[in-house]
Amino acid sequence: MSAPTSARTALSTAEAGPSTAGPLLSINGLTKHFPLKGGLFGQSRGVVRAVDGISFDVAEGETLGIVGESGCGKSTTARLLVDLISPDSGSVILGGRTLGVDLTVRDLRRQVQMVFQDSYASLNPRLTMQDAIAFGPMVNGMARDKAVALARDLLARVGLDPGRFAGRYPHELSGGQRQRVNIARALAFSPKIVVLDEAVSALDKSVEAQVLNLLADLKAELGLTYIFISHDLNVVRYMSDRVMVMYLGQVAEIGPVDALYATPAHPYSQALLAAMPSMDPDRRTMEAPLAGDPPNPINPPPGCRFHTRCRQADGVCSVTVPVLHALPQKGHLASCHLHIPGSGHTGATPRTEMAP
Amino acid sequence: MLVYVLKRLIYTLPVAFGVSVVCFLLVHIAPGDPLTSVLPPDASAQLQAEMRKIYGFDRPLIVQYGLWVLKTLQGDLGVSIATGRPVAGELRLALGNTLMLAVLATLIGFVLGCLFGFVAGYFRDSWLDKLASFVSIIGVSVPHYWLGMVLVIIFSVQLNWLPATGAGPGGSADWAWDWVHVRHLILPAVTMSVIPMGIVARTVRALVADILSQEFITGQRAKGLLDVGVFRHVVKNAAPTALAVMGLQLGYLLGGSILIETVFSWPGTGFLLGQAIFQRDLPLLQGTILVLAMFFVALNLLVDVVQTMLDPRVQRT
Amino acid sequence: MSSASFETIATAGTLPGYWSGVLRRLGRDPVAMFALLVILAMVLMAVFAPLIAPADPYRGQMLRRLRPIGTPGFPLGTDELGRDMLTRLIYGARLSLLMGVTPVFIAFFVGSAIGITAGYLGGKVNTVLMRTVDVFFAFPSVLLAIALSGALGAGIFNGLLSLTIVFIPPIARIAESVTTAVRKIEYVEAARASGASALTIVRVHVLGNVIGPIFVYATGLISVSLILASGLSFLGLGVKPPEPEWGLMLNTLRNAIYVQPWVAALPGAMIFITSISFNLLSDGLRSAMDLKS
Repeated sequence: MSAPTSARTALSTAEAGPSTAGPLLSINGLTKHFPLKGGLFGQSRGVVRAVDGISFDVAEGETLGIVGESGCGKSTTARLLVDLISPDSGSVILGGRTLGVDLTVRDLRRQVQMVFQDSYASLNPRLTMQDAIAFGPMVNGMARDKAVALARDLLARVGLDPGRFAGRYPHELSGGQRQRVNIARALAFSPKIVVLDEAVSALDKSVEAQVLNLLADLKAELGLTYIFISHDLNVVRYMSDRVMVMYLGQVAEIGPVDALYATPAHPYSQALLAAMPSMDPDRRTMEAPLAGDPPNPINPPPGCRFHTRCRQADGVCSVTVPVLHALPQKGHLASCHLHIPGSGHTGATPRTEMAP
Repeated sequence: MLVYVLKRLIYTLPVAFGVSVVCFLLVHIAPGDPLTSVLPPDASAQLQAEMRKIYGFDRPLIVQYGLWVLKTLQGDLGVSIATGRPVAGELRLALGNTLMLAVLATLIGFVLGCLFGFVAGYFRDSWLDKLASFVSIIGVSVPHYWLGMVLVIIFSVQLNWLPATGAGPGGSADWAWDWVHVRHLILPAVTMSVIPMGIVARTVRALVADILSQEFITGQRAKGLLDVGVFRHVVKNAAPTALAVMGLQLGYLLGGSILIETVFSWPGTGFLLGQAIFQRDLPLLQGTILVLAMFFVALNLLVDVVQTMLDPRVQRT
Repeated sequence: MSSASFETIATAGTLPGYWSGVLRRLGRDPVAMFALLVILAMVLMAVFAPLIAPADPYRGQMLRRLRPIGTPGFPLGTDELGRDMLTRLIYGARLSLLMGVTPVFIAFFVGSAIGITAGYLGGKVNTVLMRTVDVFFAFPSVLLAIALSGALGAGIFNGLLSLTIVFIPPIARIAESVTTAVRKIEYVEAARASGASALTIVRVHVLGNVIGPIFVYATGLISVSLILASGLSFLGLGVKPPEPEWGLMLNTLRNAIYVQPWVAALPGAMIFITSISFNLLSDGLRSAMDLKS
């Protein structure tokens, strides 16, 4: 574990740019297994390895995209980041302070806010928009009139006229308008990081574009950092500086968005990107790059989790778990034996050639 | 399947334990010394102290509970204060009588309920539906002890067709399936059947209406499929739930027979309970309630298991 | 009605302005409105009994026992102690309604508190609370009511206590399942992410969205409670003589069915009318809440 971690740190500090004091958010070995109850004596029948030892950094001011198929642990990761569920192991370090050590959950939540996918379910049907936004600040000690003023201010900021929308209820708004309110609610805490969990996925394409532009504007204006989770690769590319590909609760590949999209290293990333609908008829995909559904995360395959669907799988892949490994010539990290020198994969370079 | 049955069985154990605790505590929540339930009020202090020791009331509650459970498991439910006979023996006869009454009432209620419910659901929103729904509302709203009285007034007092009370000549010990005895069963059974009838009718109506509104049924009807086919489909899909409701109703009737048995002086468990309450015979009260409640718990278990076997979609936990 | 449909009501149905819509629809339901009128009449009768009743409910004359319906001066006859039936039926509404409605009212609060706590906190708290509830749910309701009041002895308070304990488990179960459904909705997660305490979240975000369905379920229990409460008095538990209460009157008049059968049946008719009115009103409320219709 130590070798790839140091490689990653070196890499992210090299490209983080403005921040020199290390990453804003650092996730190390984050793990969440959900026990499956229901055995004969109500004992655990196994665990869903929703998130299984993921590590990544987020630099201040950047947007990290997280992509993957449904069930790969994207949303669990998001909920772990704001401690809506507690991790089994691993650490969350925000601005140099470790959650549970010198960072309280309350402080974490004030600085890391979240926007959910379902704009309707995210809003209490019985609260007006201004009350929904003012709830958070009031809970954190702000006086009611100040919180309401802040809420109206934020409504204006996300492009909704407070005069018209402050007193409305969720069912009186469109999906895009509701998602703007959800963004305003997240902003009411003046957070450093906003986790956007499929925040635009449920919107119409035209509305989606408007909300994405709003997010981009807010980021520039307020100096926000985004963690942008989506299954839509085009949207992720548009929004992100770096992108992380997840597969069955683990990180398959992580790196700068342009490099990763141009030359994906992990066979899974390759397959995922090949499956992207292309606007260019000459580059139309002729065959399905990925067959079948991801394996069950309850009993994930041994070795590399992707080997059951991977075209380049080799003997070593079903035995040894690959670790994230830096690919200096590409500028990103991948966890694939193919790219780990001396891994034993027939396609990998022998160890001797890569020795320093 | 086997795992489900075992799981359901194991889930039942803590509930059964809880039920036994509640029954055990009944004697202790009764106002005053629990001893008053087994001694005449004018007993001497020395006798009281002796009896306290014999009954174990001087020991910690947990020990008392343990001893009580051990005795109960051996079939010893204590001795009735009023009659001086073992509670278990009194119960055995009464339980048979109540079972007879409750099973008959459930059957009548089930048949009528299915009929009303099916008609109501099949001809939804017609006047037949309204009528059937009204009948089932009456079924769940009528105080059945009063209905029993009214039936006695009509059929015994006014028309003199059926006997008002009892279980026939010689009491329940001489029960036989002949007219002399069965005529005693009719009024209580019909009275009792009103409750399951209302509930079964409501359930079946909802089930039938739901099944008929499914798209493929509408399509099949549109294609001109004979009603027999639709009918068979409805029966097949509604049966597991309806049967489950019937099973649970049987349990409710067994436990709730006291009011009707009091009206008709039917010598069942309810009548026994009535006596126990009237004479403040706490051992009899406790034993009867324990047996009835355990019966209900077991019946619940049985219904769940049978329903899962009939309908694999239902996997209740 | 299954708990699943209450969850749909809780998750989809409680928009602001929703309740006024429900009331509007209820107002257009003639059966429900008629039931409401009957209930109001019963309540008024109970409240103003001393003004309405023609005689003293306790004083009777042995010389005019068990007079038939239509006797001059006694429009509904007299009871086994020669007391005016009409007067006693009017006064009977007081204790009968009190004994029937109070247990459901108290159980509504206690059961909701238990169910919402269990549903919101989940985990071990849920297991402990709901398993305890399951134990009481494992008794048929009539049996539990009789077991408790049989052990506690007769009396208004013991009757009320027993019936309240009987109605807590079903209400707690519904409250738990509705709350569990609401807790999983994202606005509750969002509220948790805001750092609000569990109590604040329940007060602001959960309570308003679950209390309606629980309330409607509880109204459906009132008719059962009325029948059970009078049933207890009918068995000699609950209300003690000489208080006028319909179930107790039915009990004391039981032997009179050979002399004045229809006079003896009158108190039961009162229970029936009240109970069916509550049932019809509850049904009307339920279908007024059903957005599909």
